[in-house]
Amino acid sequence: MKSYIVKRILSAIPLLLMISFLCFVFINMIPSDPAEVALRVRQTPVITEDAILQVREELGLNDPYLVRYLRWVGNCLKLDFGVSYTNPSRTVLGEISRCFPATFVLAMSSLVIVIVLSLPIGFFCAVYKDSLFDRIVRGIVFMTTAMPAYWVGLLLIWLISIKWDLLPTSGSGTIKHLILPSLTVALTYISTYIRLIRNNMLENMKEDYVLYANVRGLKQSTILVRHILKNSLHTCIVAIGMSVPQLMAGTIVVENVFAWPGLGKLCIASIFNRDYPVIQTYVLLIGTLLVVFNLLFDIIQSIADPRLRREVS
Amino acid sequence: MKKRLLYTCLAGVISAALLSGCQKQAGQEAAATVKDQANTEAATKVSEGSSKDELVFVNFRDIRDLNPHLYAGEMYAQEMLYETLVNITPEGYAPCLAESWNISEDGKTYTFKIRKGVTFSDGEVCDANAIKANFDAIIENKERHTWLEMMNLLVGVSAPDAETFVIELSQPYYPMLTELGVTRPFAMISPKAMKNGSTKDDVESYIGTGPYVLKESVTDEYAVFEVNENYWGEKPKVKKITVKVIPDNQTRVLALEKGEVDLIYGKNMIDADAVNKYKESDKFSVSLSDATSTRQIVINTTNDILKDKTVRQAIQHATNRQAISDGIFYGLEKPADTLYSNTVPYCNVGLTPYEFSEDKASKMLEESGWVMGSQNVREKDGTPLKLTLLYNSDSVTEKTIAEYLQSEYGKLGIGLEIKGEEEQSYRDNMKAGNFDMVFNICWGLPYDPQSSLAGMRQRVYGDYAAQQGLADKAEIDKAITEIMVSTDKEKRQELYRFVLTRLHEDAVYIPLTYECNKAIYRSDLKGVGFTQTQYEVPFAQMYFE
Repeated sequence: MKSYIVKRILSAIPLLLMISFLCFVFINMIPSDPAEVALRVRQTPVITEDAILQVREELGLNDPYLVRYLRWVGNCLKLDFGVSYTNPSRTVLGEISRCFPATFVLAMSSLVIVIVLSLPIGFFCAVYKDSLFDRIVRGIVFMTTAMPAYWVGLLLIWLISIKWDLLPTSGSGTIKHLILPSLTVALTYISTYIRLIRNNMLENMKEDYVLYANVRGLKQSTILVRHILKNSLHTCIVAIGMSVPQLMAGTIVVENVFAWPGLGKLCIASIFNRDYPVIQTYVLLIGTLLVVFNLLFDIIQSIADPRLRREVS
Repeated sequence: MKKRLLYTCLAGVISAALLSGCQKQAGQEAAATVKDQANTEAATKVSEGSSKDELVFVNFRDIRDLNPHLYAGEMYAQEMLYETLVNITPEGYAPCLAESWNISEDGKTYTFKIRKGVTFSDGEVCDANAIKANFDAIIENKERHTWLEMMNLLVGVSAPDAETFVIELSQPYYPMLTELGVTRPFAMISPKAMKNGSTKDDVESYIGTGPYVLKESVTDEYAVFEVNENYWGEKPKVKKITVKVIPDNQTRVLALEKGEVDLIYGKNMIDADAVNKYKESDKFSVSLSDATSTRQIVINTTNDILKDKTVRQAIQHATNRQAISDGIFYGLEKPADTLYSNTVPYCNVGLTPYEFSEDKASKMLEESGWVMGSQNVREKDGTPLKLTLLYNSDSVTEKTIAEYLQSEYGKLGIGLEIKGEEEQSYRDNMKAGNFDMVFNICWGLPYDPQSSLAGMRQRVYGDYAAQQGLADKAEIDKAITEIMVSTDKEKRQELYRFVLTRLHEDAVYIPLTYECNKAIYRSDLKGVGFTQTQYEVPFAQMYFE
């Protein structure tokens, strides 16, 4: 077990390096000159060649990009992610740590909504397969999967904030501000998990152990909850675990709609402003989160499922 | 059996929901009571005083770095905190920190009499010495500011006494006061707020002499400005301004509708749909400014087909600006007749716009030998009349206009190929002259017309490349140079007339529409107007009824 974990951690390092390198290469393939864009973002009315040269020097853009990449990786190891191109008085680390808590709170509250709603609904959909309830839920799931978060967000603002006057339209600060954005983020995932739980349970119902449990004369509720649900949740745990970093990355659009001051808003602004250091660090952060959570939940799963442990050893 | 389980669970869920609902309701009630109390208090306050004096403004991004000598901050916020020597008004220059000024006969020496009794919001006196300290800090970072011609002409600044400030130039330069009056970099910050007399890298705090002071700012969330109690001029009626950050266009409008925001203001902050929706509303008012800048197409006069003036003029006649204004901008941007709107200083020179007439256009094309060939494209000596129109693919409107023109010109036998490029390469191609026709927007107020004309002489933008095919380019450039050093207003007007007429007759620019500033606000907010600087929001004039 230990050697398995160590192996997994070691194999994560080249993966992260590759993510960061690809990210660096792709960003540098954008045909804009970040120095010129930085000047434009700072609303310099006339961008002269002199000014561009000066800013390029200031941002260290004159070196070949392999050199810049290596320097960047070296600095990252020291937790120095550079300064923002468009706002040189701010460090990238400062920007990310300013925005991280807001996104974390949003992602976690969405996760709670996802679990609280999708678990019982998925369960009953499986139990009452093809009933009216199941069919209605399937219809709703189908619809919400197809609706883009941006649009759902605006509809929610219109209905709940303006028509019913219940919640603020945007911003942050109180629990009230949190409800609409986290609901919007959660909606896309809820439908995925309802389907996942439902299908897993249906598959488990066909297993021999269910038949055996029935033969033993166990109560239906016991079979459904203690046996089928429990066994179906194995895969769901991994999926939900992996959805934590996905949720953090998935808040981008929603944060912009609801003016939520998190990483997504920072990322969109950085993309528009070609603020390379911020974009790179953001991608690296999300990549790291994905790798770490993947690892974590693989380990948890192998602890939870003895069969997997045997395969590993 | 299964059913009983379902009911049990459902009952559990419902009761849990009810319970939490009750709890929340109780909480909400408590909160609501507090809020009501606050509201009542506010209401009594309002009735005791005259009216509401707090305004919530909204912007798409944070105020960022408000160092007045750099370019990283939002201009409207800098305008609230800092002041310049002179103000630019529709009537001309008005005194601000300088009470009066004097320009020497030769136009090279500017002597300003500094207003007495002005202090920065930290209590420092704003006299000629403080202003000199500001100029020194700006000059220290001279390369950053050379886009202002006066920076290149500057010989020196001095403060002979506390009330006199002198600027010396190497040659006369008439737009000097405009450059001193624009938001940055010549805005004054308290010398105490500088870092060892320098502002090049950073400042200690944002302390100016303006009508407002910055009370609080949370990055990407909001900023709070309060009235400067020591302000030398008339104190604004709106005492507190909260600026919220909402990046999304739709959400901003929804927040206005909900009453969380009182005012939306700016060139690109509101779309045509929203403006048209609120035009008729009694809850909200809509204001549109005069033209701030011109949306135009630049024609490359070095192109083999387009070097013929008649072809260029034919294209002008083939362009239906009214239809673009109505169909694409829903009337929000008025059709542009000339390169600069008549409301721009010196530009009301009575030019006759090119009227839209397909007959005229095709007649002119026939005249210069372009006859209808196969596939509905005109030809001359075997060359088809095919042109490329370059647009910035990040701009949805440019693409729409390009598609519209493609079909319109097509009817006249002009084969227009449209090519969208990402902003940076679009700009690079424009600068290098790699285009037949290209979209552009002129600099806008207060840089029009002087700075944008001056720019035509330099390789900075597409204008320079586009005008290379003009026979009278040298003559035009000479006149522009003369305008800049002219000291006599009438002579200057004559020179402007000459330059603008030539450019108009040469048909280098197809004016399309005039961009304008737009504002949507609560109907009880009055005094929402526009200034000569397009990025400024004139909060000081606003009040609630």
